[in-house]
Amino acid sequence: MKSIKLKIVTPEKVVLSDTVAQVSLDTKMGQITILPNHLPLVAELVPGEIIVKKSAKGREQESWVAVSGGFVEVLPDTVVVLADTAEYAAEIDQARAEEARIKAEELLKEKMVDSEEYAYVAAKLQKELARLRVVRRRR
Amino acid sequence: MKWDSNNVRTMPQATREIKRRIKSVSNTRKITKAMEMVAAAKMRRAVAKVLATRSYADLAWQTVIHLAKKVDTKRHPFFRERQEIKHAAIVLISTNRGLCGSFNVNLVHKVIDSIKIHQPESKTTYIISYGVKGRDEARRRHLTLMADFHKEDITDNSVIIRPIVQLVAKDYIDGKYDKVFVAFTDFMSVLKQLPHIKQLLPIVPKIDERLGHIIHKEDLAEKINIDNISEFIFEPNTKNVLDAFLPRLVEVQIYQAVLESEASEHSARMLAMRNASDAAGEMIDDLTLTFNKARQASITAELADITGGRAALE
Repeated sequence: MKSIKLKIVTPEKVVLSDTVAQVSLDTKMGQITILPNHLPLVAELVPGEIIVKKSAKGREQESWVAVSGGFVEVLPDTVVVLADTAEYAAEIDQARAEEARIKAEELLKEKMVDSEEYAYVAAKLQKELARLRVVRRRR
Repeated sequence: MKWDSNNVRTMPQATREIKRRIKSVSNTRKITKAMEMVAAAKMRRAVAKVLATRSYADLAWQTVIHLAKKVDTKRHPFFRERQEIKHAAIVLISTNRGLCGSFNVNLVHKVIDSIKIHQPESKTTYIISYGVKGRDEARRRHLTLMADFHKEDITDNSVIIRPIVQLVAKDYIDGKYDKVFVAFTDFMSVLKQLPHIKQLLPIVPKIDERLGHIIHKEDLAEKINIDNISEFIFEPNTKNVLDAFLPRLVEVQIYQAVLESEASEHSARMLAMRNASDAAGEMIDDLTLTFNKARQASITAELADITGGRAALE
């Protein structure tokens, strides 16, 4: 069976480097799923989740990674994700993620003056929501 | 007789002087030793960071090479070579503190050399400094400073250097300068760091061997041949992806250069401090020898005095 070589890297570290069966990502145009032999593609990612499906010894395994934006480059049988930040579901502390989301929401309500700041806080909220989604899915 | 008594009186004085010197040198050695230790700890952190970022910078660069082959490079100003180079800019990444050997001086020398090479075609080269020591050295050499950014001791993430990227990108598009370089010190190993200048803009899509080139040999090995790919799909479209991706690439490169410089800085300082400690050690040995000689000389002189006195009595 054909598989994809997947690499998820952030400026801090290589988060994942593995051969997988399929991978789903949130791009600016919506969620896409990449299977082996996908056409070459470059897309911008939005804060969201990457769902990685892997079949090991006949069993399907799924793992979730929360990303806060970045880019994906798809080449035949290779997928490279250049993420700004990326975390495994297991690495995210749900309580703290929830706290961060509430804080971001509050900030968004309070400060509506500065457009740049607004954009920053809104982006932060998006990111926290993505992390929470990934965590909840795992449980 | 007069001369002799005089000599006896000065001898303890001389040994006291030497003793004081030994004390002061060994205090200095304690300090340099401590500084070496601090630099070593900081170096370990900085090196771990620079190694971690290399694979990201590498893959991002690889993506650009792929893109450049399949996209008309004239379409984005970051790719376009300008006909006439009027002004250039150099982002100079140096340190805030001294005591790291000839680290900053070497870097500025390299910058001046490169300006000389480019001078016929570019009239002015602006310096954008990141780090106090490099700025001061550049001013001493009468280079044109354009902007000075405050540098943290350890750059934690790429957000800190974003203002530099914004300034460079904006001025480049406005045509204030036609070429942008980054001057940094490449971290080859703990013992070897090389000052290096790299072109940031316009982007030259070639395999980059210099910026972070130690561990990523394995990555290069699995380089993918994309010649048989007819076309890339861009989502949402080519322009949007390039507009978002290319500034990010510039950011990644500057960030990588900063991390390389930091790893180099702390290694250089550690070495400089180790040399200082070694030199202090040698000095202490030397002084101790002189001290012992002086002490022996004074004892001999006293003995000679006593026996001389006795001979006179007999």
